[in-house]
Parts: sequence; structure tokens; C-alpha cells
Amino acid sequence: MRPDAERPFFFGPDGGLFGMYHAPDMPARRAVLMCAPLGQDLIRCHRIYRQLAQTLAAQGLAVLRFDYHGTGDSAGETASVDWERCVADTVLAAAELRARAGTERVIAFGARLGGSIAMRAAELAGFVEAIVWDPVLDGSDYVAALDAMQAALREDAGRFTQPRSHADVAEQWLGFDTGDRLRRQLGALTVEPTTVPTMVLDSLGASEAIAWDRWIAPHGKATSIVPSTPWNDLRRLESAILSQPVIQAVSGRLRETA
Amino acid sequence: MMREEAHRFGRGRHLVGIAGVPEGLSGETGVIVLNAGLVHRIGPFRLHVELTRQLNDAGYPTLRFDLSTLGDSGATGGGLTRAQQVCADLDDAMNLLKSRAGCERFVLVGLCSGAQNAHIVAATDPRVSGAVFLDGYAYRTLGYKLRHYLPRMVDPGRWARLLRRRPDPGAERPPSEPVFAVAPAPREEVIADFTGMVERGMKLYLVYSGGISNYFNHARQFRECFGRVMNHPAVTTRYVAETDHTYILTGDRARLLDGIGGWLQRNFPPARTGRPA
Repeated sequence: MRPDAERPFFFGPDGGLFGMYHAPDMPARRAVLMCAPLGQDLIRCHRIYRQLAQTLAAQGLAVLRFDYHGTGDSAGETASVDWERCVADTVLAAAELRARAGTERVIAFGARLGGSIAMRAAELAGFVEAIVWDPVLDGSDYVAALDAMQAALREDAGRFTQPRSHADVAEQWLGFDTGDRLRRQLGALTVEPTTVPTMVLDSLGASEAIAWDRWIAPHGKATSIVPSTPWNDLRRLESAILSQPVIQAVSGRLRETA
Repeated sequence: MMREEAHRFGRGRHLVGIAGVPEGLSGETGVIVLNAGLVHRIGPFRLHVELTRQLNDAGYPTLRFDLSTLGDSGATGGGLTRAQQVCADLDDAMNLLKSRAGCERFVLVGLCSGAQNAHIVAATDPRVSGAVFLDGYAYRTLGYKLRHYLPRMVDPGRWARLLRRRPDPGAERPPSEPVFAVAPAPREEVIADFTGMVERGMKLYLVYSGGISNYFNHARQFRECFGRVMNHPAVTTRYVAETDHTYILTGDRARLLDGIGGWLQRNFPPARTGRPA
């Protein structure tokens, strides 16, 4: 890989959004926008997002990874993360990718809340397809899971020598400040099916069986990924999420549809 | 006001980093933040983003970047040892911050393996004039063992629980996966490095957390580990028993950042003149 094939840059109206553009060796006919998850999932997924981007660029696709306002290297404080702004940033990023890649055909990829954002932004951003990995469909369940992990974190003997006070852990989710607005937005989140073909990669395992038909009809598909991904395991909170089967599934899908 | 710039840099153009350059200020001292474990340059829970932006606001140019093969940075394939590669990467990083902000001297900040890497460079590169070691090198001393085991030995409740205990493998808590670790180095070597650093005028700030209680458990242990050099006026130590290794709680993180900012202000007051042409 040529080092200059991966270009870090800032974009957006105020130059505050960070992006990493993976340029293919040949002119691209299609491009992939990689929508990051939020919170600690963003950090845990950084390596697999990069691996997937490199794999797809080697297949001739132009790829853009980026951080929403208030996340990663983008401008903004963590507490300012806003669901609607994430969706708007995704639309901006899709336009940036089209301009850089010289193609209108953009496919979205996203894990967890990144998948949810990709689905919500699909029509606004004009995606031709969405590939989503364990997307969050019901925000209230997701908020409850984060709250439960945050409560367990307070007395995690593997992390703290003494339990911390309730005030110490308040208004945060697993290392990140949580604004009231984001909590309300995620709590009310219900992701509806999109009008674009959607491929679901399901690595949630038997503990969270979802009937995907409603979200993938009529031109999509659901693929089961083994082994399951430990998204909500407090003991692995700081371990990277890696999955060669996910990379193979996405790469294979984009070969099939080339 | 400050601006952040995204850079691909280095002799092999293999490194990726974000420089924060305060507007209108000359940056004699630049602050470079190294990767903590395998986490990319934003740091655990975005610690490095918050740290560099807070320091930019205080007038310091900064660079948070990924060392070779970490985060978004690639490998050079130059056949260097890891220590040589770290030194080469930091040389590239210092040259970048010099070209972008005019920095002539540098403070390195590293957590865990980042502290270890900062130590390697600080021990050998004369441009490094300060270092912040977060949970860096440490050793289980006699004092550590006494503080750890004595209270347990004289606790009758603990003995009672031990005697009542039945083997129940299902009840065992699986150990957390090791994500962050500092590889040991010979203690005498580390002491000699610290001594050499302060003798050449470097300022050191060691902040150790309760998150490494399996080998460090008291403020006195800095002296127990490293001897008299810890009493040198150029060395500041701080032990924060209540916090964890990666500062997951926002209040702990804010106090850490304030501590680093205050130490920098005392030891490396930012210049307030115009930026170099």
C-alpha cells in the first residue's frame, strides 16, 4: 500500500470534521462511506474499520472513514454529540466522498450506532446500499444496557480499588460525557427500514435474536457472523473489536454487486 | 483560538497525527502525546484529544500521533528494533512540530506503554526537556508487599472467608483481558535514566494510579522504586489511589488534565510572542 493512498484531512463547512480517505489505485466506480459507532465502540472498532477500508480500497473502491462532531479527532466536546448532527455529518461526508472519488454511487457501512446512523441517513445521503453490522434498532434497550454497564462500572473491582460514588459516575456512559439531549434522542430512537437495499451482518448471537426480514426487504439480506461480538462485556471494554468474517462478508458482498 | 491540522508525515510518510497550533503564539515548548497501548491517537476515552485541546488553549502547540504500526500509521520496513523505531518516529514528530509551530524543545506525555516509549526517547534525545509519565515503570518493593499483604494477614474476616471457601470454578470472575501493560526494564537502568534526565535539566512529572495496584500502592513507592532521584526538585510525583489506569471517569480525567496543565505552566511557561514566519 502506498502511504499517500490514505490521506488524513479536515472537511465540512467549518473544517471541523476529521476524515481519512482511502484512494484506490484506479478510478473508482463505487465508493464506501464508513459510519463509525459512538462512544467506546468507536475506539474499539478503529482497527477493523481501517482494515476493512484497506481491503475495499485494494478492490478498487474509494473509501472514507470519518468522525462525527464531538467524536474522535473531529471538533467539538464529547458532551456535545448529537444524534441529528451525526446524521447531518454523514450527509456531508457522503458529499465529500463523492467529490473526492468522482463517483455518485456511495455505499454506507456502519457498526452498532454507526449502522443505525447509516440507515437513518440512507435517503438523505443518497446511498445506493447500506451494509450494517449489529445495528442498534431500539434505542431504549441500548440506553438501558449502557446504564446497566455504567452502574456495574462504579463498583468494578478490576478497575477501581474502592467503589466510586454515584456522583462520580453520573451523566457518563463508559468513559464519555453524556449530554441530556443525546440520552433523550437515543432513548427515543427507533430505526425504520430504509428504501435502499440493506445487508445486515448479525453477530449478536442467540442472546439477542432479531427477525431481520422487516429491515432487509425487499432487496437485502441478513448474514450470520460467527463468533458473536462481545459489544456489551464490561471486562472487554478496552479490547479492540476484530472480525475477519465481517471483513470477508463485506468484501464478498461488494465483489458480488460490482 | 487555535487550529488543528491533519498530517501524514515522517521519513517514510508513514505516520499520521493531529497538530494543534495556537494562533498568534510562538511555541517554544511543544507537547507530544504518544499512544496508550493499542488505542489510536485520540487516547483512551478521548483523553488525548481533551488534553491537547486544553493545552492549545493554554498556549502550547501539541501533536497527538500514531507511532509506526499503531492507529492509522503504517510501517517503514526499515529493519529497526522497536526502540529505534520509536526514537525515529519521535524525531519525525519533533521535526513536524518544529516546522509547524517553531518548537525547539519538547515535553512528551505517555500513559502505560506510552510512558515506556516516552522514557526511551527522553533518556536519549536532548530536545526533550520534560516528560509526563502516567503509570510508567514501577516495581513491587518490600514496602508494596507489606502494604499489600499485612492488612490481609491480620484480617480475621478474611481468614474466616478463606477457610469457609468451597471450590466453585463457575463462580470465578474471569480475568480482564490484558490490554495495557508496561514491559519491565532493569530497575538500575531506569534509575540511571531518571538521574541522567534530571542532570541534563529535564523536568519530570510521574502520575501513577490505583489502576496499577497489582504492583504500585502508595505515594512512598516512587522513592522505594527509584531512590533519591525522586527527591530532586525537577521531579514531581503524584499517586492517585482512587482512579483507574485509563481515567474512565470524566472527573478523574479533568483532574489529571488540570494537573498536567499546572505542572506545564510552572515548568514551561508558554511564550506569548508572535509566531515565527
